[in-house]
Parts: sequence; C-alpha cells; structure tokens
Amino acid sequence: MTALALPRPAAGLPRLSLGVFLTALAAILLLLWTGVPLLMAVLWSLVDPDKPWSYPDFLPPSLSLAQWKYVFTYSSIGRAVATSFTIAPLATLLAFVLSLPTAYALGRYRFAGKETLKLLILLPIVMPGMVIALFLSRAFDMLGLSQSLFGLVLGHTLLGMPFMLRILATAFEAIPQDLIDAARNLGAGWPALVRRVLVPMVLPGLFAGAIFTFIASLEEFNLTFVIGTPTFETIPTVLFGYLGYHFVRTNAAVVSIILMVPSIVLLFIAERYLKTEYLSSAFGKL
Amino acid sequence: MRPRLAIVLLVLPGAGFIFLFLAVALTITALQSVGVLGFGREPGFTWEFWVALFDRQFLDSFLFSAKVGIGSAFGTLLLAYPLALFLRRRRAGARFIGSVVKIPLFVPALVAAFLILNTMAFHGVINGVLLGFGLVDQPLRMLNDKFGWGVLAIQVWKNLPFQLLVLASVLATIRTDIEDAARNLGAGPWQVLRHIILPLSMPGILIAVVLVFIMTFGDFAITRIAGPIYPTSLAVLMHTKALTLSEWNLAACIGMVIMVASLAFVGVYARTARLLQGTAA
Repeated sequence: MTALALPRPAAGLPRLSLGVFLTALAAILLLLWTGVPLLMAVLWSLVDPDKPWSYPDFLPPSLSLAQWKYVFTYSSIGRAVATSFTIAPLATLLAFVLSLPTAYALGRYRFAGKETLKLLILLPIVMPGMVIALFLSRAFDMLGLSQSLFGLVLGHTLLGMPFMLRILATAFEAIPQDLIDAARNLGAGWPALVRRVLVPMVLPGLFAGAIFTFIASLEEFNLTFVIGTPTFETIPTVLFGYLGYHFVRTNAAVVSIILMVPSIVLLFIAERYLKTEYLSSAFGKL
Repeated sequence: MRPRLAIVLLVLPGAGFIFLFLAVALTITALQSVGVLGFGREPGFTWEFWVALFDRQFLDSFLFSAKVGIGSAFGTLLLAYPLALFLRRRRAGARFIGSVVKIPLFVPALVAAFLILNTMAFHGVINGVLLGFGLVDQPLRMLNDKFGWGVLAIQVWKNLPFQLLVLASVLATIRTDIEDAARNLGAGPWQVLRHIILPLSMPGILIAVVLVFIMTFGDFAITRIAGPIYPTSLAVLMHTKALTLSEWNLAACIGMVIMVASLAFVGVYARTARLLQGTAA
C-alpha cells in the first residue's frame, strides 16, 4: 500500500532518460567501432588514383572505380576468385559425403564415447592452423599432393568437416523418434522414410552445414599458403600478399571487399533463416 | 541399439578422415622433432634439436605468443563482459546493438586484419582524428610496433562478438530471482554483481578467455602482417625455420610446443564446458 504513495514520475523519469542515454551512447560507440573500419575499406577501394586522399581531407576528393579495374587487370585476383570458388564447392561436397553416415550415427544412436568423439571432431578448427599446415605439407609432398588442386580440396575438406559434421548431427538428432516410428507403422520402407521424413527434416541443417563449410574453405589461409602457393592462389593468399610489410592499401581494400562480401551474405542468410542451434552447434557445446 | 559394427562403419568415413589427417600431421611433427624422420639429414633418434631449441629467439617468441594470447583474451573480456551485462537488461535498442556488435564475426580474419590496419595506419583515420583535435603533433606509429598493439587490436576487434555470444548465453542462464532476492535483502548493484553475477558466470568467463587464447596463441597470419619484425610469434618463427632456413627438425620442436600448449587449453575448455552443461541442465 505504501508503494502507491511514492512519487513515481519523479523517480521514474531520470532513470529512464539515463538508460536511454547509455543505450544511445553504446549504440553510437559500437557503430563507430564496427562501422568506421568497414566504411574506410569501401572508401579506400574507391579512391581516385589521380587525386590522392590524405590528411587533412576528411573524405576522398573524388571517387572512381579505377582501383577495381587495376586489380582485375594487373593482379592474379581473377584466377584466385575462380580457384576459390572451385575448391569451396568441391570441399563442401566431399565433406557432405563423408559426414553423412557419421552425422547420422552421432545424431540417432547412443554409443560409448559419443560425447568425446563430438569434442574430438572439433580439433581441426581449434588446433593451430599453421602447425597442421606445415606438417601435413610434409605428408602431401611425399604423396605428390602438394601444389595440386586435389590436395587443396582434401585440406579444405578437413578444415570444413567439423562444421558439416556437428551441424548435420544436430539436425539428425532433432528428428523426433515418434515421427519415424509413425512412418514405419504406416508401412513406410527405408526409401519412403528417407525421402518423406529424413530428407525434409535434415535439409535445413544440411544447408547450414554447407554454408559454414563453404565459408571455411573460402577463408582458409594457412594450408593454402603452404601447399598451394605459388601454383594456386586463392582470395586470402592474394590479400595476404597486399598486407604486411608491402602494404598496398588500395589493392588490399579491393581484395578485402571481394573476400568479405560472400561470407557476409552467406552468413546473413544462415542467421536469418536457420535455427540458432545450428550456429551454436558449429562452435561447440554452448 | 544397433550392433557395434554398424555404428563403427557409420562413424568411420567422417571421423576417420579427420583423425587420419591429424594423426599424420601429429606423427610427422613428433618424429621430426626427435630426428627419427629427417628430411635432408641422416635419420636417427636424438634430443639435440630439443636442446638447441631453447635459445634467446625461441624464448622471446614464446613470450610474445603468450602475451598476444593472454592480452587478446583478457583485452576482449574487458569490453565483452560489461557489454554482455548491459545487453542482458532488455532495454530498447538492445537488439540493434546486439546485431551491430555481431558484424565482425562475419568478417574473415585476414579482412579484419586489413580493416584495423587501414584504420590504425600512419595515415589512417585514427591518426587523422588525433591530429585534427590537436591531441598529437605527429601521427603515432601503431603497426609493426615492438609491443604488438596492432596485433592485439585486430584480435580484440575480431574476437569481441564471439566472446559476447558465449558470455551472453551464460548470463542468460542466471535466473533473475536470485538477483531479485539479493536486492530485496538490501544488496546494491555492485554487491549483486560481485557476489552473485560474477561467481555464477565464472565458467562462461573461463570458456570465453580460453577460446580466444587458443585461437590467438598459435596465430601466424595476423602476427606476420601487423606484428613486429622481432620478436615474432611461435607460428611465424616455426614457419621461417621450416621454409626459409630449412631447419625442419627445429620447426617440428616449435610445432610440438604450440600444439601441446593449445591442446592443454582445449582440455581446460572441454572440462569447463561439461561442467557448465551440468549446472545448466
């Protein structure tokens, strides 16, 4: 009863505005934190080579697509894009074929050591990439797989498998046993069960797993750098060449955008249309 | 339950592929570090490479990698934890902030390196703003610096959303009644944070820190791009020893050190994750 007597507006109003103020401040700071670096990359890729951009100009004096033309004419980026987009679908397909039975077992059956196995499967993405790359390259050299497209596809498959396996396993796990039992009771054989129940139920998971594997392949650097270059350049190895001590800013800006756009678009689709369990199952237990 | 054989056959293609490759890489590293597998030298068991490993350059690189790993992990936490606490209250605009902060998660690591490099460069926008406000007389050198601030900045920017997701999901499991009860009993916001939220979110903090440490300790590309010429990270040192100096056996020793350190932390992660699952269930 006494609570009603409190002067509510006086107590409520300043608190509200403080909350709004803090939220606005956080939003502005975070927009700067993520937005400024991205905006700068776009601007630098559009700098006009005839009118250089330097302090104290706040924005480039004029914009042009000259840098894009330059990069596509005088660098290996065109071939690198083709190589990247050849390896990624092949690695995704191979990862899918190899993962399918394993994911089914992980998702549908109970057996000793399953939880440990699910953790061990994550090793290719948590183990330091350059160590794996360097010492796998010794084996690849011996087998004649270095500097070959097949070797690169195998390597990318290895590094994308954890995503495909874990996400597919989650998808298989999510199918209610009742549904399978009901289909069986109604006389469905294996072919009908697969076509009518398993495939439709697993398809979103497969889609998510494929997106993650595809992106892992597009972004893979260490292994490609060790066993692929100089015969094969992918988008990340081209970008690496423009960074570091030979920092070529405008070229790096163009290649960064080429590498970033497919990842952002694909992950946006994955996040927008798919269940969040797939995202978390890709990264581990949480 | 299915017969055992059927399960083994089902598990084999996927798990077998992964373990075959990892086992090969691990075996070659281990054998090469003790000279049993020699490329370009007479093979034979010896500890000489391990003895020769611990020189000044290796120790400096080890310290640099440890500094970058620990610095990135806790530097990110310093930003991510307050932000996760802030986003926990469902204020208006929290969703918007949540999606803005997630953007770097979608950016490939090398691109993140470029974005931050570009911002922090000698003629970058940060130096521009500092000059514009008259805070500095001449541009600051923030990349390829001796301490590794450039590397740390890239890692924090890249890993912030990742830690935030981990912390947010752990904070979400803390039930508000405990907090309300403490408040009713007269605890102030700081006391609630110190005695309730912080201890209850400790496993989540540990996981967030360990994950970022694992992903930064063995880093090659970002250190090579934005790090100092000396000291380098262990992965860069290993790469140079192997491919520039052809000292594969020494490189294998360094590889073993990186791998053992990372796997030890993966073990910590796995245990904490299981613990956390136990409390959440």
